[in-house]
Amino acid sequence: MKLKRQKPKEKFSYDPQKVLKKLEDLAMRILEDVKAGKNPYFDVPTRGLNNVYFDEESRLIKLGDRLSKRYFLNVAHARKFMQTLILMAYIKRLVSEGKHASLREAYYANKHTIPGTKENTFEDQSESDPIIEDLERMLGVLREEMHITADRRGYIYGDIVIKDGEDEFNASKLGTGGWAVPGTVEHIQFPEVNVDYVLVVETAAMADRLIEEKYPKRENCLIVATQGQASRGVRRLIHRLHYEEGLPIIVFTDGDPYGWYIYSTIKRGSINLAYLSEKLATPDAKFVGMTMDDIKEYGLENVTEKLKGIPPDKKGGPTGDYKRLIEEMNYPWFQDKEWQRQLKLALKWGVRIEQQALANKSLEFVAKEYLPEKIREGKLLP
Amino acid sequence: MAEARDLFKEFKVQSVSEFFRRNAAMLGYTGKIRSLTTIIHEAVTNSLDACEEAGILPYIRVEIEELGKEHYKIIVEDNGPGIPEEYIPHVFGKMLAGTKAHRNIQSRGQQGIGISGAVMFAQITTGKPTRVITSTGGDIVEAWVKIDVQKNEGKIVKKIKHPNPKGWRGTRIEMEVKDVKYVRSKQGVYWYLKLTAIANPHAHIELVEPDGKLIIFPRSSEEIPKPPVEMKPHPKGVMVDDVYTMAHRSKKSSVKRFLISEFSRISEKKIDELIKYITALRLIKKEENKEIKEKLYEKLVNGDVDSVLKAFGRKWKKVMENVEKIMEKPPEKLTWQEAEEIVEAFKLMKFLAPPTHGLRPIGEENIKKGLMGILKPEFVTAVTRAPKVYSGGIPFQVEVGLAYGGEISSSEILRYANRVPLLFDAGSCVITSAVRSIDWKRYKIDSFDTSPLVVLVNVVSVHVPYTSTGKQSIADIEEIYNEIRLALMDAARKLAFYLGGKYRRLYQIKRRKTLEKYLPEIARSLHILTGEPEERIREYFLRLIESKIEVEEVEGVEVEEAEA
Repeated sequence: MKLKRQKPKEKFSYDPQKVLKKLEDLAMRILEDVKAGKNPYFDVPTRGLNNVYFDEESRLIKLGDRLSKRYFLNVAHARKFMQTLILMAYIKRLVSEGKHASLREAYYANKHTIPGTKENTFEDQSESDPIIEDLERMLGVLREEMHITADRRGYIYGDIVIKDGEDEFNASKLGTGGWAVPGTVEHIQFPEVNVDYVLVVETAAMADRLIEEKYPKRENCLIVATQGQASRGVRRLIHRLHYEEGLPIIVFTDGDPYGWYIYSTIKRGSINLAYLSEKLATPDAKFVGMTMDDIKEYGLENVTEKLKGIPPDKKGGPTGDYKRLIEEMNYPWFQDKEWQRQLKLALKWGVRIEQQALANKSLEFVAKEYLPEKIREGKLLP
Repeated sequence: MAEARDLFKEFKVQSVSEFFRRNAAMLGYTGKIRSLTTIIHEAVTNSLDACEEAGILPYIRVEIEELGKEHYKIIVEDNGPGIPEEYIPHVFGKMLAGTKAHRNIQSRGQQGIGISGAVMFAQITTGKPTRVITSTGGDIVEAWVKIDVQKNEGKIVKKIKHPNPKGWRGTRIEMEVKDVKYVRSKQGVYWYLKLTAIANPHAHIELVEPDGKLIIFPRSSEEIPKPPVEMKPHPKGVMVDDVYTMAHRSKKSSVKRFLISEFSRISEKKIDELIKYITALRLIKKEENKEIKEKLYEKLVNGDVDSVLKAFGRKWKKVMENVEKIMEKPPEKLTWQEAEEIVEAFKLMKFLAPPTHGLRPIGEENIKKGLMGILKPEFVTAVTRAPKVYSGGIPFQVEVGLAYGGEISSSEILRYANRVPLLFDAGSCVITSAVRSIDWKRYKIDSFDTSPLVVLVNVVSVHVPYTSTGKQSIADIEEIYNEIRLALMDAARKLAFYLGGKYRRLYQIKRRKTLEKYLPEIARSLHILTGEPEERIREYFLRLIESKIEVEEVEGVEVEEAEA
């Protein structure tokens, strides 16, 4: 099987005017309600697992339609009602001025004492962050589109030309460190794409190894290092590379419940950000490894690690990795024969296998044999 | 013979003074603080009763002057009807004889011992007579009264008459006493008068304390309570001695007439039934077979008197004839044994409940006025229950008042029997246990002991069942306990409703403040988002708050806010 760039499915669509309009419409509705003597409110989609479902058609974790109303006249809601409006006004200014602020900046910029009281508009960042998430869900607009960014994590390496503001550069000409993915990738454009696919790698160590072995050049692919759970910027970038540039996505993580969940998040979306799945997830992504089968296939029995925690058949169990495995087995989006088999094997053997374990064979093994062989032969998990 | 007569005289002399000494506790003369309170109580009670009977709004002034160590001069003055000159020695000098002792009447006093006991106390502690100044409207009589212990009679030591140009009416007594102490305690005169003022809101009471401080418990009601009405005793409530004594005092022609006219709920028909019951009791007593005896008695208890009589064949007719004879003889010929038989039969018979017209509760409105006027609470409520009966035939009535907040700072149980404050033996009193048994949390009182809540309970009855001769606590009789509880719960519900409303109003005010606090931020943000002027947005929101939150400005709320 030869991986090839496909036709784009989606066009880059960020339009700050749309965000502004949504903010203003919502504010107008509030104002009209008050003018009409009605108790103004926000419809806030409910958080948590009980308002999340797996949509079989799109194969995505999606947000349910449960709403909670945030009323001005309710004393328990009034403070949050005020905070929501304060942040809406702040975001309006950010977007119209074309400036970006981090979550922490957004908090400090709006933290001040309410006139005539000893009370602050925001006591803590833990008060402002959830309001921003609420706004994302209410408006159906990404935080990044509202010019509020999170810490950057993850990097990209490979023959692709990126346009970031005034700057244009090739991500394979920035040294071995590649290009760090910013908190928001909404404004980024890709004038030139010279690769066939994207290899998403969990650990930076493995990504570094592959770059050193010139894997991206040889295989004509892009390396995206997530550095643990993929940040929103990285997930959005992967999504865009797939939908806007037609690049197939292959994910390479450790063979353990944590690594597999990183893959699941990239592919299906996450419970916390279920309302953003359509913008962050990439259901077509495939999984190259590590799998439990790899252990036998490549003779890695000696370099496995024991699962942490207490197995389900032991007293006090299951805990730790075991518990996580069982949870994953029960998620509707893990109800796939292949995946159930992997999860069961992990449970049965009580082991996990890291990406770096492949170095046991040789440093070049992963770049020259393991990955090319598996990808060529299509030994990928759905 | 002469010797015996002397002895007898000696014995008689000692009996009256001995009576007083031995029964000092029963009359309230124990302890230095309590003795003083008792004297004041006797004088004030007389004044209140006299004013009530004469239809006068009482004005009572009490002065206590310290003359030396545990030595005081007590002055009590009222604006009552005054005492006719010829009665002065009787009122102040004769013990165990008064205007109410023999009447079945709800009364405050100690039934005739009262003020003469005080005169006696003064006399035996200081040797001095009691000075009485009184007028019924004519000349003012000033008399010094002593008790002739030998004759048990009042004796006027000295008497002066004064002209009365201003037409003063009333009575003023002055006495010197020792072995007493004025202390402003919960058992002292101050507290006693305060409680008296609460239960008698129609009275204006003043107190001058030994240090010269004047305290006024002002009148808060213009309504003079109706004096108590004499009630004929109910057959269920009498003792053998009552029947015997009443019969011997009666001027009726026969025992039957006596019973019908001097007891309530006794008719000709009931006399016939009484005859049957006494007959049956006599027959049963003679029965030797224990088993049969018990069976028959049980039948009688169940009211089946006819079948009990039939069980004795013809024998009963003769016995009944004898019993009928008792009913026909003059009442003064009634023997103790016969009186016993009558009372025993009464206990088994059924009677209509006693009349209650003689009960004189304070009344809900007056309790509220009394509590409000003296304690200045923020909320007051009262409940007067309908009369009930205990021990089968003794009518009683319970009333309760609750006063909350305002100038009240701690919890208090104010106990009364027939409006008389009970200051001692709180622990053994049914009022205390009933108040304690209430789950106050259910009525929005988190803890009774730490709440600003005063509970007033007045038990009204011709025969208040005191636990002891001290008459300071009421016995734990189930019917009374239950009535107190019901009255308390009823009143507490009203309190809870008030507190609920108060919290609701406070909540509304807090809610309004919270919402208004956020208005500047909201207006500013919405201005940025919509372009509408801030001031206008603020007005819209204020109008909304105004229309959706009703705030009742109620007394007390302001105070609460200021304290918070």
